[in-house]
Amino acid sequence: MDQRIIRVVLAKTTMDAHDRGVRYLATKLREAGMEVIFMNFFEPAEILDAATQEDADVIGISSSVEGHLPVAREVTQHLKRNGKENVLVIFGGVIPDRDVDTIKEMGVKGVFGPGSSADSIVAFIRENVRTPRVSFE
Amino acid sequence: MREAVSVKAAENAAPFVGGVPQFTPEFLEATRELEKDWRSKFDAIARKFGVDPKTYLKRTDSGLPVKPVYFPHDIADMPQDSLSAPGRFPFTRGLYAAQYQFMPWANQPVIGFGLPEETRRRMDYLQSQGMIGYFGNAFYNLVYDLVSHEGIDPDHPSAEGRVGQCGMAVYSREDNARLFDGLDLEKMNVVHISYYENMAVLAHYLAYARRRGVPWNKLGGNSMNWYYQSAYTGMTCFPPKPGMQLAAEMIGFCTKRMPKWNTFNIFGYGMEEAGADAVQEVAFSLAAGIDYARECVARGLRPDEFLGRFGFQISQANDFFEELCKIRALRRMWASKCYELGARDPRSMHVRIHTHTSGAVLTAQQPVNNLIRTTLHAFGAALAGVQAMEVSTYDEALAIPTEESATLSLRVQQIIQEESGITRVADPLGGSYYVEALTNQIEKEALKIYDEVEKRGGYHNCHDYVRAKIEASAVRWRDQVDAKTRILVGVNKYVSDEIQDVEVFKVNPESERVAVERVKALRANRDHAKWETAMADAKRATERFKAGEIGGLVPAMVEASDADATTGEIMGVLKEHLGWRPPH
Repeated sequence: MDQRIIRVVLAKTTMDAHDRGVRYLATKLREAGMEVIFMNFFEPAEILDAATQEDADVIGISSSVEGHLPVAREVTQHLKRNGKENVLVIFGGVIPDRDVDTIKEMGVKGVFGPGSSADSIVAFIRENVRTPRVSFE
Repeated sequence: MREAVSVKAAENAAPFVGGVPQFTPEFLEATRELEKDWRSKFDAIARKFGVDPKTYLKRTDSGLPVKPVYFPHDIADMPQDSLSAPGRFPFTRGLYAAQYQFMPWANQPVIGFGLPEETRRRMDYLQSQGMIGYFGNAFYNLVYDLVSHEGIDPDHPSAEGRVGQCGMAVYSREDNARLFDGLDLEKMNVVHISYYENMAVLAHYLAYARRRGVPWNKLGGNSMNWYYQSAYTGMTCFPPKPGMQLAAEMIGFCTKRMPKWNTFNIFGYGMEEAGADAVQEVAFSLAAGIDYARECVARGLRPDEFLGRFGFQISQANDFFEELCKIRALRRMWASKCYELGARDPRSMHVRIHTHTSGAVLTAQQPVNNLIRTTLHAFGAALAGVQAMEVSTYDEALAIPTEESATLSLRVQQIIQEESGITRVADPLGGSYYVEALTNQIEKEALKIYDEVEKRGGYHNCHDYVRAKIEASAVRWRDQVDAKTRILVGVNKYVSDEIQDVEVFKVNPESERVAVERVKALRANRDHAKWETAMADAKRATERFKAGEIGGLVPAMVEASDADATTGEIMGVLKEHLGWRPPH
């Protein structure tokens, strides 16, 4: 009996023109009943601000143009520093194989490369989202 | 002399027979009977396969219905004039009387990564492998990096990890020297692939050329002026109207001062990459191009003065016939719209096309398969008669191309050009009932979308509409892949667990550090008084531009670059005065 709506901040850097996948995912997560806040970011701190303001359960970051390592580092470290490790962080786009383990060690729970189905991401979020829901103050 | 040219031009745009139908009524009656006979046999075969012939219908990737076979009566409505001849209005069959007989299409791979010196090495290497432009001139299709696109400098905090990614780390006149020193600027054509930092990029190139003593009217190349892309590309941007005005300002400057420069690039490729289908790509390319052309006219330019320097970059994706018919339709439609706008010189009605084979349909799974896809794309573009081509590399879905993959893309073009024999004949598919019918169908459907955009006040007034249409198409595409009604080999069919281990390119991490040091050194060592004066002038020029003054912006930005202002600094001025905002 879990009626709460999962809130997802989906973000990509403004520098990245490759937003077709992440926009598609936004549509599909909404269709799956989640609430999606889609944003472009300039600096990773903006993602964290949005996640705080929107009390997000999930942060999804799309990166197809490198630059994912510093973003993953800043986001996961910030969450740890603030005791918010239970906010689920996932990455999508083009994350080279060589970096997948590195960002998972930082605390990114899922990495969804090209060809990942939206259904598999919905299922992953439902399985791994924090519970019970903790307010992101 | 000019008079004579324009009289000839007007003749060129005139119908050659005046709307004569292609076939006699008796002939068409006979072919309709023929179709009935064929249909009964086809239906019988369908039933043997358990298919109800009444509901049997196939569609192109854009959703256009197609018949299993075409007959003369399917193109009977089409007057002879709409086909015409290569090099004659409305240019359905090609822009010039000769297609590839004396000069093949230009091989123009996109190059750009890391430091300017690293990009230069790749330029020199690919040139040694046969990369060549028109008339045997050197040709460089150079892309700037993400940091430059954002209009910032590499030492900006948000640039971390993105310097020299997806393009070259070039931010100043000094970086232009690192890129181009030793090359003969008058004997080369250089496309500066840049987004909204376009003005800064041109300023650096012009300032650099002047220091080398090369007059601007001798420079050949291309500025993109892609501001309209903010409708469908998720990057921070100028608002639509100032963007269009910036483009028109630069087009005006180049028209007067740089006759060899291509001033505007209509980037259908980006639309299709963002999710647009072929019909939308034609419609929105046309709509954006005409809207910007109108702005140029409003700013005092005559159509025949500037339209000849407009170029197109068009995608070539998976639906083989639809993609090549799209190009034929676009040529005809653009010619007609430019004629309506007042163009009379054939060059002002030409859709000069650089084909960029689709990256969006390439797969990270079984990546070597992409070589087969891109070969088909390039082959289709060649049959459609395009002027230049860039073939995406097979590792496109993984990273910046390696030297090996970039060379193979060049080889795809060279093998088609020199082994297949298709360059002997212009518009080899012209007259095919199917190809002509599909070309007509695309034209009809694209015109509906174009008219809708015009009804909404023209392209720059309905970015949201364009975005919504393209996004809906992207969702449809992906849903079809998931439902397996659209097959992607290696993704939703013939999937293999075996990993194709291909080399993946990585930008040297040192490049970022060097680029940051360079920009810091530039700021520390430049003549500060000169820089301050130039920046103050740039601000005033931008204010005057905003107030409606014409012609002053590019020269002011060139002086800023000459005083060692960086891309981030020049763009800072424009952003501050014209607005800069998220894309959605």
